[in-house]
Amino acid sequence: MKDEHRLLIALQDLDIMIKEVKDKATSKELQSLGFKLTGLGELTDARDKLAKKVPRNLLQRYEKLAQHYTMAILPVTGSLCLGCFVKLPTQFFSLVSRNELQTCENCGRLLYIP
Amino acid sequence: MQSMEVAKLISFFEEDLCIFHLRSRKKMSALTEMVHHLALKHKISDERFIIEMLKNRESLGSTGLGNGVAFPHGRSLAIKDLTVLFARSASGVDFDALDGKVTKIFFLILAPSDKGSETYLSILSELISLIQKPAKLKNLYEVTDYPSLVKILQEKDQ
Repeated sequence: MKDEHRLLIALQDLDIMIKEVKDKATSKELQSLGFKLTGLGELTDARDKLAKKVPRNLLQRYEKLAQHYTMAILPVTGSLCLGCFVKLPTQFFSLVSRNELQTCENCGRLLYIP
Repeated sequence: MQSMEVAKLISFFEEDLCIFHLRSRKKMSALTEMVHHLALKHKISDERFIIEMLKNRESLGSTGLGNGVAFPHGRSLAIKDLTVLFARSASGVDFDALDGKVTKIFFLILAPSDKGSETYLSILSELISLIQKPAKLKNLYEVTDYPSLVKILQEKDQ
């Protein structure tokens, strides 16, 4: 896997965490358990720093997809896109390289082979 | 959040995923040691993602809730199934706990990012309520094997 793809996956993990903290029900639940969630600023700073390391064209693709989907980038497991659960065509696997991100023809999500 | 049966909760623990003698004394090295253990047991696909995610989670606020217990947790693409790792440090780890004391017991809870937060929140919630009793906590500080850990978790409130 290329470093830029790793960065994108880490960015998505971070986005999911930020989304959780901003979600009132989840943050209320965490706070009721005793967790202090005071560092949202640190998280968004870390997100900005990470985003700057991702090549611009890739980041733009990710950001566009992330507006619609919580999971914009996903691993391929079996022969399905785990985002939309549509079976990927056979040629997907003959053309796909472990180093290149692919796109699900159905939902447009970014896919990688782990 | 719906309550989970203790037996169901214990089913998430595995003997292989317990560290009874954590060596690290500092926060990041303790997290790294636990994550490395999961990698050795083939539970995660990439240590770096998990360490980075946990580091970010700690910057949001320490998961060291005090009384010597911490619950590092989060979701990542690098984890396939909900995983719980138990770790115990005899001497304690400087984990920036909310009460300023060292942390001796760790419940590391990791969930896949394609599942909702409720997958780990229910375990987190159940574990936190389970270990509220000082006697149970004291036993956990001293636990050194898996059968004893299960027994402590199963024990009714003392």
